[in-house]
Amino acid sequence: MSDLAQMSAGAVRGPAKRTGHGTQAMAGLALVALPMAMLLGLILWPTMRMIGATVTLEDRIGADRYVAFFGDAYSMANLRFTLEMSLISALTALALSFGIALYLRFSAGRIATMIHALSLFPLFVPSIIISYALVRFLGPNGLFQLLLEQIGITQYRTPYLTPVGPFLAFVWENLPLPVLVLSAGLTQVSDHAVEAARDLGARPLRILWEILLPQTRRSLLIAFALIFLGILGAYTVPYMLGPAAPEMMGVYMQRTLGNLQDPDSAQVQAVVLMAIASVVGGFYIATMLKSQGAER
Amino acid sequence: MKRSPIGGLLILGSMALAMIGPIATVILWAFAIKWRYPHLLPTEWGMKYWFAMLGRETVITPVLTSLALTSISTTAAAVICWPAAYAFARLKFPGRQVMLFSFIAAQAVPKFALYVSIAVVFLRLGLVGNFWGVVVVQMLSAVLFMIWIPTAAFRGIPPALEEAAFDLGASRLRVFVQITLPQALPALAASYVLAFVSILFEVDGALLIGAPTVTTMPLLLMSLSAQIIVQEAAVLCVLIWVPCFIVLLLTRRFMTAKGIAQGFGV
Repeated sequence: MSDLAQMSAGAVRGPAKRTGHGTQAMAGLALVALPMAMLLGLILWPTMRMIGATVTLEDRIGADRYVAFFGDAYSMANLRFTLEMSLISALTALALSFGIALYLRFSAGRIATMIHALSLFPLFVPSIIISYALVRFLGPNGLFQLLLEQIGITQYRTPYLTPVGPFLAFVWENLPLPVLVLSAGLTQVSDHAVEAARDLGARPLRILWEILLPQTRRSLLIAFALIFLGILGAYTVPYMLGPAAPEMMGVYMQRTLGNLQDPDSAQVQAVVLMAIASVVGGFYIATMLKSQGAER
Repeated sequence: MKRSPIGGLLILGSMALAMIGPIATVILWAFAIKWRYPHLLPTEWGMKYWFAMLGRETVITPVLTSLALTSISTTAAAVICWPAAYAFARLKFPGRQVMLFSFIAAQAVPKFALYVSIAVVFLRLGLVGNFWGVVVVQMLSAVLFMIWIPTAAFRGIPPALEEAAFDLGASRLRVFVQITLPQALPALAASYVLAFVSILFEVDGALLIGAPTVTTMPLLLMSLSAQIIVQEAAVLCVLIWVPCFIVLLLTRRFMTAKGIAQGFGV
């Protein structure tokens, strides 16, 4: 199923086999050298250097800066806020897109086509545009409030500059990826399987739990990891829509580095975030490797 | 299974409001001269703010900077990534699988934290506040599109034609230019467009590496959005986003479940 597996593991086909192995290996390595150098020089090296720098004190090696970070109530509040935001937004986006994918799986016609198209719309809208648009839409006296007042609802309280603001933006941005992947996964469940289960008296919830969820479990896990990691490292959305305190780590790091001119603390914040991300990232990579292994 | 369409219409309605509502608000603002609470729609329409914005140097300069930056870094990324994609798809060399995989794994790094580490290195190299520093860091956001879409495209080309040409004595270069390249061209173009748009609207790298001397269009948009005159940021949004949206629609056949799955290893 995964084309990545075929792409990376599959035997090389085509004209390549005409050339000798040595020449081909040299040519291949030469062609990938520059992008690989970019990965090493712009991701691996700065990260390694940063980890080293955070434990290098004036006269010795020590974890003092980390002790300070974890002892600081404000830093910890920001970290907790970031983790909670990433977790809740990612789960909400997944739940909503699973619902949409389910609807699409069992419906056809013009309404389904339109819902599908709408759910992919965020693919075409950059973060900065949707952030600004949500400020105008949901903000005080925004179009949403005006619409509600048309139907007589006057108690609207804007989510702008509260944690709900970035939450809504994150969910909005992260709908298309899981909708695409999950609806592709759900089409692999045959109508017969569902009908057979229904004939045997299985209730919808049981069909969902025992037939539909297992079929999409891996897609769900990978989509969760990707969305979670994306939100963890986000800046624009919380800067434009979020509260002043607590801050999400992106905003916090930017302020520490840019406004407070304190690269030492900013690097500690970045390493802590990367360490947390590496747990989820490692899980993402392991899931990918496992699924590729299974298909070989 | 027979159902009434009411449920579907309800979902459709709320989706339409949530998806289109925010963008519609911005478009309304861009063409509004007067829109005061509690009017549902602007009471005075016009393009007054368009002319005001387009005549201002503080607007023109960032837009030109962004276009130059984006063209250079997207093209540079294409030059180094497309040949690599060909190699990943067609050549056999040690470490191929691990290297291709590392491009996908690189997405697991939280972006802003990574840019902090790059900013500290660039600060020492004198690349902060430097145009070329921003070019280099923005190339990173293009690498993903520029590797996976073309690699998949090259692999998707059936090798039969190429082999036939070889059998007739065509050189490797001639086969590539006349047979492989034309078939891969749509995917290459799509990867270029996707990378171009994502760099054009890139904020994190531009902010940490470019500010305050290099002001790009998204950074201008951020500062305008904090101002009292709503129309200015709205005009800029519509001006930049609408053309990108139309061009992106042309690439949508590459944004399929399969394409996305390849890129993210789902």
